[in-house]
Amino acid sequence: MSLLSVFRWLADSQLSTAIANSHYAFAVIEMVHLMGLTLLGGAVIVTDLTALGLISLKQEIGEIQRDLSPVAAVGLAMLLISGFFMLADGPLRYYGNAAFRLKMLLLVVAALFYFSVHRRALSVAPGARPRGKIRLAALTSLTLWFGVALAGRAIGVL
Amino acid sequence: MAGGVPLLLEWCNRISATSLSTVIRESDWWFNIIETVHVIFTTLMVGTILVVDLRLLGIVLCREPASRVVQAVVPWTWAGLAIMGTSGLLLFISEAAQAYDNVAFRIKLVLLLAAGVNALLFHTTIYRAVGEWDTRLPTPGRARTAGALSVALWTAVIVCGRTIAYFH
Amino acid sequence: MKRMISLVTIALSLTGASLALSSAAHAHHSFSAEFDGTKPVRITGTLSRIEWTNPHSYFYLQVLGRNGQVTTWACEGGGPGALSRRGFKRGDVKLGDTLVVDGYLAKDGSHFLDAQRVKLPDGRIVAGGSPGDGGPQDKPRDNSAASAPSSTD
Repeated sequence: MSLLSVFRWLADSQLSTAIANSHYAFAVIEMVHLMGLTLLGGAVIVTDLTALGLISLKQEIGEIQRDLSPVAAVGLAMLLISGFFMLADGPLRYYGNAAFRLKMLLLVVAALFYFSVHRRALSVAPGARPRGKIRLAALTSLTLWFGVALAGRAIGVL
Repeated sequence: MAGGVPLLLEWCNRISATSLSTVIRESDWWFNIIETVHVIFTTLMVGTILVVDLRLLGIVLCREPASRVVQAVVPWTWAGLAIMGTSGLLLFISEAAQAYDNVAFRIKLVLLLAAGVNALLFHTTIYRAVGEWDTRLPTPGRARTAGALSVALWTAVIVCGRTIAYFH
Repeated sequence: MKRMISLVTIALSLTGASLALSSAAHAHHSFSAEFDGTKPVRITGTLSRIEWTNPHSYFYLQVLGRNGQVTTWACEGGGPGALSRRGFKRGDVKLGDTLVVDGYLAKDGSHFLDAQRVKLPDGRIVAGGSPGDGGPQDKPRDNSAASAPSSTD
């Protein structure tokens, strides 16, 4: 079962036809995608800017990261669900698109990184100050997520 | 008014005729770059606003004093506003004549104004007394209202922003 | 847990708000909502107007129909950047040139195409569409889905 055959199956599905024929479905899907982006972006930016020492809050970075993580998760969920529906609108259009493939790759890397390595790096014991690792994790996170967003824009532009 | 054409439309037509407008509108790269900046930096401006709103609603960073969250995040919101304002202005300039007729654009401007008024009202009234409710949960009703209204208004701004393309 | 419920509630409200506000808009910016991907057409005409603009370029062709009548067709293409990266530059066409455009018809039946392929006066064929709209630049390597466009008048 090749990737192309999965995309073909989705292209032939009732879901795909329903979205493609709807006057407003795609608009709604795009809006949800943008709102999810803002939620995820806001949570990541505040967390990582704090980790970089550019935002100064009372709590330890580990607590802040734990606190904002659900916001990031909800934003990401909105992005993934709406993203799937966008794909369903015309899977074969995206299959050959280099920017789409790059975005998916970066998305997997960014999400895996953010909810594992990044989380571990920021969850330091209160009072401990291994700032170098925390800063590196924050910079990597910002770069990866920024890359996902940029690749997303490239899908419709390049 | 010249020959019955509204002054505002006259203005928009003039802007569209400038070389800055034309250069961006017919560019190979500039329009795409400016639009990309505008879309991506929404996360900086509105994302930080949402974090403050969620604090006012008692959903995140509850162990952080409300004023601390506001003070810490607000400089970044301003930075985001500077970037969004500049990129937004350039986008408007590139298609000013079209923007005049665009319903979604007009509504977006009204909503931006409303969001600004909401923020101003919050900061000059209930926030003045933040010392009294800084670490108290739930936050005062008026703070929660301002937060909820902010979420609703900025959502609407983003929706209208995207809708602009549908009325081209 | 309570926080998660609040967050999900906000997420659902945002989704609901998006639904309410955007259902008013005709999603004509989605390829599938505005154009019929199953109706490829080909038109031949003389270029009467060209708008080399972002986010989309527009070129207008005067097409001579079988009945002798001339109709104006509008073709929507990618922005100047996307087109020039595919070899279709501003100086390649001028008013009065004859172009052959393959594209997909607008669903509302108007004389409006989403341009996929444009045959320039010098004989070159370039991809005219916007990236992501299903045109030749997006086609998967296995091209079994392609069908020959039919002429129209």
